[in-house]
Amino acid sequence: MISVRGRKARSSARVAAGVFILACAALVSGCASLLPQTAALSEGLPGGAAGRVELTAVPFFPQSEYQCGPAALATALAAAGVKVTPEDLVPEVYLPERKGSLQIEMLAAARRHGLVSYQLAPSFADLLREISAGTPVIVLQNLGLFDGWHYAVAIGYNYERGGLILRSGTNERQILPFAIHELAWKRSGYWAMVAVPPDRIPASAEESRWLASIAALERAGDAKSVRIAYSTFLERWPGNVTAAIGLANAHHALGELDAAESVLREATRREPESVIVLNNLAQTLSDLGRNQEALVVIERAAAAGGPFAEAVQQTRQTILEKISEKAR
Amino acid sequence: MKSVWAGTICRLLVVLMVWTPYQFAQAGMIGTDQVVSAASQADRATLLNFFSRSDVASRLQTLGIDSASAKDRVATLTDQEVQSLAAQISSMPAGADSALGAILIIALLAVAVWYFWTRM
Repeated sequence: MISVRGRKARSSARVAAGVFILACAALVSGCASLLPQTAALSEGLPGGAAGRVELTAVPFFPQSEYQCGPAALATALAAAGVKVTPEDLVPEVYLPERKGSLQIEMLAAARRHGLVSYQLAPSFADLLREISAGTPVIVLQNLGLFDGWHYAVAIGYNYERGGLILRSGTNERQILPFAIHELAWKRSGYWAMVAVPPDRIPASAEESRWLASIAALERAGDAKSVRIAYSTFLERWPGNVTAAIGLANAHHALGELDAAESVLREATRREPESVIVLNNLAQTLSDLGRNQEALVVIERAAAAGGPFAEAVQQTRQTILEKISEKAR
Repeated sequence: MKSVWAGTICRLLVVLMVWTPYQFAQAGMIGTDQVVSAASQADRATLLNFFSRSDVASRLQTLGIDSASAKDRVATLTDQEVQSLAAQISSMPAGADSALGAILIIALLAVAVWYFWTRM
């Protein structure tokens, strides 16, 4: 009897302990799945990031009602050396009917001011890496229950204390616990962007996405910034032929035809059959008045075919016309 | 007198040239953005709901900006950005919250976290 009761008691204690452990595990894993990035950060400081950073030189523009987009953007742009105020940016990013600013327009507006804008990977570790490298980061948070979208600028953190420092709204120095920031930030899919001068590369930049960011700057029309951005890119990733094409295009736009030629020649050594390189080299040679040389190059491009065949035929036609004009 | 006029006209022309934005679409050169998006361009041709830049500009206009700045704003977008803006313009989050609401919600969250933490 006694032994049975003892066994019963022991087994119920075991069940209770099991339930308790399960409950604990559920709570811990619940927290980790609710805040996966904060949980991952608690494992250790991300590589390349300092323990404690605050970019105190980043200016502060208190937002007026609903205009956190222009205010956050002005903060990031001014930190990168652009002379601009939130009022200047209202007509560039603000949408009166939505009472706010769209992410795509935030990225585009930075380009209009000669900076390269880059959307970060959705990663808390990358956010800390950028701040540690001296770049303030614009983040999109959702602080409300329904539609509380809000842009703020992360300018520092204290890893030991788990606090993020932001310029946010009318608050010049807001300190948010990592967990609270993640709750609010997660709802935008961890959306974050930086805007840097063209002679810099963000600490967390990936080769192909950074290249696309520079190509996007071409639309904004500032050829000198584009040239600097591609040269800086090629110093880091010298084998990238697309970047070489971009650099040559920027040289060409600025009338630096000799420089464009030498960049494209170098690119043909890396990728002798690239139709785009051959087409642009032929066009450059033709613009330099060397149409016979250009014709040889464009014939090679025409032989290769591909999606740019139409553009190649046009270039070839112009070169042939120039040659026959000269012969007359 | 003639040289004064010539000088004025020259100065005017220089100013106008500086103001004229660089044209990147140069005759004969294949642009880098075309290279970068070459793969997606092929897909886009088959897209049924392809939006032009003027479509998107007029959508922006309906959200309360004038036609000139709508056009300017769309001009700096990449082809891909134009498409995603068009597709999601009304559903995209627009950062807007007033600071007061933000602080209130944060305070509430902090209290909630603290409450559950001490109960555990």
